[in-house]
Amino acid sequence: MTEEEFRRLCDFLYRRTGMVFTEAKRYYVQRRVTDRMTATGATSFPSYFARLRGDLNGELEQFINVFTVNETYFYREDHQLRCLTTDLLMECVRAKPPGEVVRIWSVPCSTGEEPYSIAIWLLENWPQVDAYDIEIVGSDIDTRALEAAREGVFGKRALMRLTPDLVAKYFVPVGPEQWRVLEDLRQSVRFTPVNLVETGETRAHGRFDVIFCRNVLIYFDDASRRLAAENLYENLLPGGYICLGHSESMSRISPLFEVRRYVDAIVYQRPPGGARG
Amino acid sequence: MPLIRRTPDGVQPDRPDAGEALATLTHGTRQKRWAAARALSDAPDAAEALGRALSSEDDPHVREAILTSLLRLRSAASIQAILPHLRSDNASLRTGALDALRAMPDVAGPHLPELLRDADPDVRLLACDLARSLRVADATHLLYGLLEVEREANICAAALDVLAEIGGPEALPVLARCAERFHDHPFLAFSIKVVTERLSAQTPRHRG
Amino acid sequence: MLMPSFIRDRREALVAEVARKRVLVVDDASLVRLYYRDALERAGYMVDEALNGLEALEKLLLQPADLLIVDVNMPQMDGFTFLKVLRRQELPLAGTPALVTSTECGPQDILAARRAGANFYLVKPLTQDILVEYAALLCGAAA
Repeated sequence: MTEEEFRRLCDFLYRRTGMVFTEAKRYYVQRRVTDRMTATGATSFPSYFARLRGDLNGELEQFINVFTVNETYFYREDHQLRCLTTDLLMECVRAKPPGEVVRIWSVPCSTGEEPYSIAIWLLENWPQVDAYDIEIVGSDIDTRALEAAREGVFGKRALMRLTPDLVAKYFVPVGPEQWRVLEDLRQSVRFTPVNLVETGETRAHGRFDVIFCRNVLIYFDDASRRLAAENLYENLLPGGYICLGHSESMSRISPLFEVRRYVDAIVYQRPPGGARG
Repeated sequence: MPLIRRTPDGVQPDRPDAGEALATLTHGTRQKRWAAARALSDAPDAAEALGRALSSEDDPHVREAILTSLLRLRSAASIQAILPHLRSDNASLRTGALDALRAMPDVAGPHLPELLRDADPDVRLLACDLARSLRVADATHLLYGLLEVEREANICAAALDVLAEIGGPEALPVLARCAERFHDHPFLAFSIKVVTERLSAQTPRHRG
Repeated sequence: MLMPSFIRDRREALVAEVARKRVLVVDDASLVRLYYRDALERAGYMVDEALNGLEALEKLLLQPADLLIVDVNMPQMDGFTFLKVLRRQELPLAGTPALVTSTECGPQDILAARRAGANFYLVKPLTQDILVEYAALLCGAAA
């Protein structure tokens, strides 16, 4: 890859995803490009670049995956969880009388690490956790992932960020280096299939106070991004929040939400006030 | 444990039927107009009404909903409903219209040749960016053609910006001729130099 | 020595002041961003970029800028909408000076820019000299 080809690639990635790769990252990027060229059988940079631009067989996701940690584990991106309990929920419950339901949606939830993490985090860190009923829903398009999420069995790597105390408190060992989420906790998180671009499917999930929608919208094409963003907007209560993955920016996805900065994270908000419907 | 699990009680937004939606699309509250725009996303005959509603709609969220419904319809009629708004004096509407066209390159693409020849330079300028989402061979061909004849520096610059991403070495003679015509425009000269370097660098070379 | 040292010191201080100024270029055209960056960096500014109004807001919430150079036609959020949203934020963010550069040159465009909260409006394409001159003017530094 020449210097000019590197720049061309960077311009494209920036425009499409908002990710910035500086000259200092060039060697790193170059190595990944070589890897992906080998994997896809591309014989030259231009032919690989065409495949990437056209997102042939989901190449954009394949490419970006190597730059972001694709692994899902408990308490991943915990700064957002901190933001959830320090700021977001405080804002959400301001207008809610105690006893009301706070609804949180993890979509896509994959094999369940994120919705269970949210549950554990709230039980551990939100002082008002007993004042409200909290409903957590995990959804994904992949029904096999959902099956695994319901099973709630995880290996050592998935639990690496949890303290032994937390593991002991919320899991039971079920095999060599395998733990299962406590029955009570598993029963309290509902898992459902959903395709984010299908309004009929998203609508059935009702409205939420906070939606975690990490590392999926950025891979959608222009049309799907737009359809999904509008569905998610509808799934938020006025004033509700949506959290994206750390390498995602709403600036490449949709203008519907307002950007909010809190100490621990940048999040996006459906404008408060029902009239903005 | 304060965590609860329940079947959703269907906290559903208003879902007007198509007839009702057509009536409230331009007249109800913002909420009603938004719901109407959403409801018309599966009414193929509604494209024209949605397009007309864009002209009078001043709420950006409702406007987005209208454009998204036209995108869902994804028809020749939805393109016809969106195209006139590229000429809007309202920046938010014309760029919103362009965003919607960009999301349906398959149906918007066939209109690109005429848009690049439009009498209105603002339309030609916006059209250049639409080329980015088309099949590379078609888009480059059209942009090379434009660079040969276009007199507006800003429009050539917009075409160059797209070519920096999708062009190939076959663009070099076109770029050279364009440089000739705009030799007294510093920004175009700069842009052509950058794009020329980018498109001619196909073999490995080292910095410095 | 022809130049008294206090003047020389003052001039160096001025140069340092310009060097610390941060400009955010908000434009969806990569060549425009590159052209502006090239000029502004040579004039001693720190330059950051955003592709549209939304990204500009995200960046400004993380790090303020001394000057915004804003295009009008951009995806997701155009320049005027961006300025309107910006002017509704809290101070000092809301008061960030903004130079709008646009291909649109009609009187209605200039009026729309003023209404949205632009401090100055220049019609594209601009030269690097003009850009740097107005940047210095709007940043409150000597040109």
